[in-house]
Amino acid sequence: MACFERVSPALKEILLKLYRAEKPLEIDHHMYEFGSVEYLVQSSAADPQHNYLSISTPLLSQGALLSDGLSSYTTQMVKQVCSDAVEVVEPAKEGYQLTLKLNFAKVPRGKDCEKVITQISSVQAVILSSQLKEMLRNVNSQDPSQRMNKPIKLVYHPREPFYVIRQPQKITAVFPMRFKEHSDVIIATAFFQELMDVGSSEKWAKAPPCTWSPIPPPELRGETLEDLSTNGGFVSFDISSHHVEGKKLDKTVWSLLNFYAYVKNHVKCTRGFIQRRMQKRLESLVEVLHKEKLEENGAVKKVKAYAECSYVGKLVRLSKPKNFKRRCRDLTRKIKQIRFRIKIHGFRRFRRRWLTFPKFSSPLGYTKLE
Amino acid sequence: MATSIRLYLTCIRNTLEAALCLQNFPCQEVERHNKPEVEMKTSPELLLNPILVCRNEAEKCLIETSINSLRISLKVKQADELENILTKKFLRFLSMRAEAFQVLRRKPVQLQGLSIVISEESWVKVVAGHVHVVIPKLPCDGFCVDIDKEISELKMSVNTRGRLVATEFLKQFT
Repeated sequence: MACFERVSPALKEILLKLYRAEKPLEIDHHMYEFGSVEYLVQSSAADPQHNYLSISTPLLSQGALLSDGLSSYTTQMVKQVCSDAVEVVEPAKEGYQLTLKLNFAKVPRGKDCEKVITQISSVQAVILSSQLKEMLRNVNSQDPSQRMNKPIKLVYHPREPFYVIRQPQKITAVFPMRFKEHSDVIIATAFFQELMDVGSSEKWAKAPPCTWSPIPPPELRGETLEDLSTNGGFVSFDISSHHVEGKKLDKTVWSLLNFYAYVKNHVKCTRGFIQRRMQKRLESLVEVLHKEKLEENGAVKKVKAYAECSYVGKLVRLSKPKNFKRRCRDLTRKIKQIRFRIKIHGFRRFRRRWLTFPKFSSPLGYTKLE
Repeated sequence: MATSIRLYLTCIRNTLEAALCLQNFPCQEVERHNKPEVEMKTSPELLLNPILVCRNEAEKCLIETSINSLRISLKVKQADELENILTKKFLRFLSMRAEAFQVLRRKPVQLQGLSIVISEESWVKVVAGHVHVVIPKLPCDGFCVDIDKEISELKMSVNTRGRLVATEFLKQFT
């Protein structure tokens, strides 16, 4: 069980916040990562110099190594992370495998502080890898007590166990691969075949030889049927001494611990890729039909536009009486203007005679009798 | 294109050209209803003999004709496991979005692949308006070749991705 990043981003953020705080903070953070890694960060305002970080992480649950605590090698590795600012508290807090006392006063100021806090945040990765590192360091050991051909089952995650088999001059790591869906099995199998092809090429002669087989390798003979029943087969890496020399040891261990996560991430990304590709293809297939639809719509719009034009024409035709009325109104206004501004001799009589409406007497009205 | 697949596609094309002589025909059972007879199969006299065009065991095309509708069922080749899941995924993806194609059937019939139902109405309204566009996209050359091409390209992409990821993984050891 591992992830690609060694550093826990959430833990780093909390520790940086604590370190950069101007006033002492009262903090009691309890958080989980990947479902099984647990952190407890405690800081007291009364004692700002001493902060506590407790970690609980899945350890080897089975095998020859320690199962209920950290080995001395692991503790030593943790101490090496930052010897000045970090102190291992013994015994650890209840429910946690490791408790560290952090003294931020000893953390160097300036640019180095972030580097140190990043190192502290990657303690879980150090614990995870130290156990496997300890085993791989003894590849060339001539000590008969270190030699054993019996496979060691490493269970960091209940569903993702793997085996380490110590053999003369090499260590074989065997990963039984299990997937939930059939399509994942197929994608992963294609990946394993590519891994074998690439690994067997001359260019990658220095990389550990990788083999994939659908049946368990002979080294796992004698293991329980439950452990050997897989749907994705078995991937084996042969780690020889030159893969664990110096700095390579760290890289090799981290790559092996990440193998499950790496394969699962590849399968997930490939599924997403297939989905995106299909979506694109669908769009291109449908595009032809949609183009035609748009053209059709265009034609319909043209027809509509033509119809609208003819409707306007009709409207124009219908509005003729209105125009006539308007013209009459204009004429009346002009006449009024004439009436008020220009004086024409004899026009008043003409107007009274011709341009006034005759007055009719109402039949209901009455006439005054003289 | 290989000769064998060309022959197979030509055979499908010719059969379709002959079969696509649909006419409006109301349902004989229900008044004022117009149903695709190839789906309903209410009157045997309105159905023609189905034609199965096979290239091999994996590639087949079943053409069922009736008086007012036509149904084409395709089985696409699946050479290996990877092609098998890619084909299944792709055809399922298309079937789930059948409304975009208008003539695609949501559930394939008989052959486990893809089914298309062309009714007289859709033929007149959708297809006849732009025959030059739709005909190549029907399960003749265009559609068949498109699907085959898409699946082989997908397979190649998946393998290429796998190779790249494997290379990146092995880089960590060096």
